[in-house]
Amino acid sequence: MLLKGKNAIITGTRRGIGRAMINTFAANGANIYAHARSDSPEFIEETRLIADRYGVEIWPVFFDMRDGAAMKAFAKRIMSERRSVDVLVNNAGITHNALFHMTPEVILREQFEVNFFSMFFLTQYISKFMSKRKSGSIINIASTAGENGNPGKSAYGASKAAVIAMTKSIAAELGEYGVRANCIAPGVTETDMLSTLPSAVLEETKNGTDLRRVGLPSEIADTALFLASDLSSYITGQVIRVDGGLK
Amino acid sequence: MLLRGKTAVITGSLQGIGKAALEIFARNGADIFACCQREDEQFAEYISDLSGNCGVSITPVCFDLLDEDAVREGAKFIQKSKRSIDILINIAGANFDALFHMVTMEQLKRTFAINFFSQILFTQYITRLMLKQGSGSVVNISSITALDGNPGQLSYASSKAALIAATKTMSEELAPKGIRVNALAPGVIKTAMTDAMPEDIRSRMIARSELKRVGLPDEVAGAILYLASDLSKYVTGQVIRVDGGIG
Repeated sequence: MLLKGKNAIITGTRRGIGRAMINTFAANGANIYAHARSDSPEFIEETRLIADRYGVEIWPVFFDMRDGAAMKAFAKRIMSERRSVDVLVNNAGITHNALFHMTPEVILREQFEVNFFSMFFLTQYISKFMSKRKSGSIINIASTAGENGNPGKSAYGASKAAVIAMTKSIAAELGEYGVRANCIAPGVTETDMLSTLPSAVLEETKNGTDLRRVGLPSEIADTALFLASDLSSYITGQVIRVDGGLK
Repeated sequence: MLLRGKTAVITGSLQGIGKAALEIFARNGADIFACCQREDEQFAEYISDLSGNCGVSITPVCFDLLDEDAVREGAKFIQKSKRSIDILINIAGANFDALFHMVTMEQLKRTFAINFFSQILFTQYITRLMLKQGSGSVVNISSITALDGNPGQLSYASSKAALIAATKTMSEELAPKGIRVNALAPGVIKTAMTDAMPEDIRSRMIARSELKRVGLPDEVAGAILYLASDLSKYVTGQVIRVDGGIG
């Protein structure tokens, strides 16, 4: 129970890594604002079951990450509820594979809109609450593609590199207010994004890891748990690669 | 209870970070071989209290890292216990400060003997035991000086840098066989070693850290626990800075 009584916001929890985080955080005693893009009765029902199972609160929250007004309304709601936010996990993201010369402007802008700008603005809102209370942990999900060069990932990789640079600056600015900010850089992880990779590339990537396998969403969630918890209280401004030792 | 049912070997467990690791491992249910330089009545008493309180077994193993035969004997003692070893934490280390031109060959060799050669020798023995079961986690305690350099710490920083290169190489060789190998790079942690630092250097380093404070041994132990446990089972070949954010 590493997060007992703490409140967390997690974006992009409908599937994949975000969904795994709901399970892991709830199992460790956290109450969660679980963000998804669009309203769905199944999502509400599933999160209710998880909440009941672990005896925590899960509040489903729906908005498009590109909808600035909706995001602001969410921030106002948090403020009016007077609940502390101890952890913010910026997980929502999209990917796109295209060779550099084949990447249209609209795709490049969309990658940055969803993966970077929206994360920037949500963090502006939420970290203000954290700074006031002199504590908080911000966890941004980047990617090994933000550090390594990968063919076909110029737009996605660049947006994730921006996330890493932003995180380091946030850590430098907010450290003295007791707010930590770190990135997780997942390698190849078994999610919907993985199915966008050609199988030959996937095989090659697997063999390029020290562990010779892809990662699981729950394994990314476990590192988020570590960074959210007090086990990492002296860690800030870091990028932790959860990549099985990818070269 | 992140380590229930696991057996760990911790070197340098008499004081500082090693003692903090010993404690957090015991509280998380691990049986422990606590390696230290020499028998100490106070330490024996401490171990017996800790193991009683936590319901785990703690076995002291004493050897001097300057004595290769003693290192072998220590490893063989652990081998003879016939226990499967899940975790090895290499914490023991020594520091000698001297400006580059004042470093004597004798001092340089001594530092490498303690911080590097003996650690490799010991790790060879213990990871052979891990290979039998095809799983394990090794955590090497390096230092941010290995990554950043530090005036007056040529021998120490170089020996800790060697440990990082060894960590990455071991990960490449052993992770395909199920053994993860990672390193931690602590910054300024409140221990006897940093208490001996000149005051102006220490305060300059604290000012550089984003959290504006020194770290505590417990905070490094928290990160050790993460790397030792299954929370990090897709993490290998990494160096994680536990430094409060030194840019």
